[in-house]
Amino acid sequence: MTSPTSSGTDLLSAPAEWLREQPDLSNRQVFRHTLTRLADAEERLVLLEADLAGGGDPFAARHPGRFINLGICEAAMLDIACGLASTGHIVFAHTFAPFGALRAGEQVRLGMAYAQANVKLVCDYGGLSGAFFGPTHHAIEDLALLRAMPGMMVVSPSDGLETIQATRALLEHDGPVYLRLGRNRVTRLDEARPAFALGRAMCLREGSDVGLIAHGEVGVSIALDVAARLEAQGVSSRVVNVHTLKPFDEEAILDTAERTRMLVTVEEHSIVGGLGGAVCESVATHGVGRRVLRAGIQDRYDSTAGSHEALLQRHGLEAAALVDSILGALPRPRLAALAPASRRG
Amino acid sequence: MAQASLEERARRIRRTILRLAATPSGCHLGGSLSMVELLVVLLGRVMKFRPDEPRWEERDSLILSKGHAAAGLYAALAEFEFIDTEELVQRYNADGSPYTGHVSAAVPGVEFPTGSLGHGVGLGVGLALGHRLRQRTNRVFVVCGDGEMGEGSNWEALQVAAQHRLSRLTVLVDRNGGQNDGPTEAILSQAQLVERLRAFGWSTVEVDGHDLEALGSALEAPSEAPRAIVANTRKGAGVPMLRGKGPHYAVFNAEQLRRALSSLGEVTP
Repeated sequence: MTSPTSSGTDLLSAPAEWLREQPDLSNRQVFRHTLTRLADAEERLVLLEADLAGGGDPFAARHPGRFINLGICEAAMLDIACGLASTGHIVFAHTFAPFGALRAGEQVRLGMAYAQANVKLVCDYGGLSGAFFGPTHHAIEDLALLRAMPGMMVVSPSDGLETIQATRALLEHDGPVYLRLGRNRVTRLDEARPAFALGRAMCLREGSDVGLIAHGEVGVSIALDVAARLEAQGVSSRVVNVHTLKPFDEEAILDTAERTRMLVTVEEHSIVGGLGGAVCESVATHGVGRRVLRAGIQDRYDSTAGSHEALLQRHGLEAAALVDSILGALPRPRLAALAPASRRG
Repeated sequence: MAQASLEERARRIRRTILRLAATPSGCHLGGSLSMVELLVVLLGRVMKFRPDEPRWEERDSLILSKGHAAAGLYAALAEFEFIDTEELVQRYNADGSPYTGHVSAAVPGVEFPTGSLGHGVGLGVGLALGHRLRQRTNRVFVVCGDGEMGEGSNWEALQVAAQHRLSRLTVLVDRNGGQNDGPTEAILSQAQLVERLRAFGWSTVEVDGHDLEALGSALEAPSEAPRAIVANTRKGAGVPMLRGKGPHYAVFNAEQLRRALSSLGEVTP
């Protein structure tokens, strides 16, 4: 791998330009380079791995004293991360999502969430991105689990730039965080977007018929694709990127519900308990009468092999199929005589 | 004489534990009493700490991995002036109090919340690694139960400690031979625990866990590897009334407390 400053362009001061010069990096590699660069100025930063660092890790090369590959022991890694954090270190613990969020879930709950440790659990292989490796390497329940833990921050960036911004923001945030990454994609969103802030959803596109609410590389890119296809058919969409699932930007969801006729959540996670669940909770809690169509993993494990794209398609997670579902479910426009839906009395 | 003083402290800690067993919800009595000498030697002879400054940077750390024995740890922390004994007895398990039935880190002197088993060794490994990275010499002590050694996460963490030669980390196994559902050996045997710890790369000794001098020597002997002490103990130890039948959990009534205290040579408060 190249160094975070090898081309002369600095990752932190010119992230978009740096990314353009590294078109082949996956999002998880972008994370590694970002952390490596951040560790230059932050001596408290330590990176733990559980035998899934791969070869040529830039952090290991540049900061060998603060890179500890513990071996295949995810549960112990999370306890160790919490012990390390209590001596004043900022600990990033990295592994695959099924092992970090699920296998070591109790360590995350006890050591990170309950104890409010300054540990950042960073997991790639989110969703189905492990693809043909099979369900042992998929993580379709991680967001539901970690979102339910009090005090946990949960972040799912939508592209390389957002991964850089989020990683940097996590260093400033004193507390436990789950950062969820995919495995394969090199997504670069071209949309102009507001400044990144943890906990604040960002509107990527305004529209009035359909409210598309998404997170992550797969979710947000599908949502934008769907919006473009719907526009070609005369249906206007608002697209909201919820990169931080917790704390949840409820205001952005309720705004979107008010401005549109139907909500659609798009995510590479089970339709149970993730963004789809969170949006339903918010809308129902506030009595907003909006139908919510949840696009996501359809509450089943996929035991047969397939490419990432093929697996997503099996769950309807691709633009063409989703457009059909939306058009079939979209309610008629409100009659002018009817009062607009009010949000909270 | 120092040892007599530790013995006196152990007796006072036991007295407090018995009083906690007589609070409305009772306590994990057997396993609290079995580890009293471990805690007394650690706090009274080996560890560096400041009770009025529990987060003092140069402190040695004590992690009670067998966090159900909270009553024992709280009683010891009271004896060593981290907390007030009378407040502890009044508020143990009471509404809104920090003194929960499994160890709470809201209590001064407690490093981590524990009670779900199998976390202490990993937390200790992290502390020891963190001190090493900061070039500090703080020692870290983890007290586990023998039944608790059934948790696989302990063995993961033991391997990591050996790999990184964390010589300032010590695990003490309170081998009292009992767990929730009965004798450890009848449920999930920890036979050859000493040999297994040694095979995992730990400098390991087996001692009488109620022998203050033996414990102190084991804790102070030089070691290049992480150190494990398998301390043979008895549930309910030190309270003649409980000899041979130290209960895992107990809720004492006033008469039971009176008898238990008088068997210690005490009168009811």
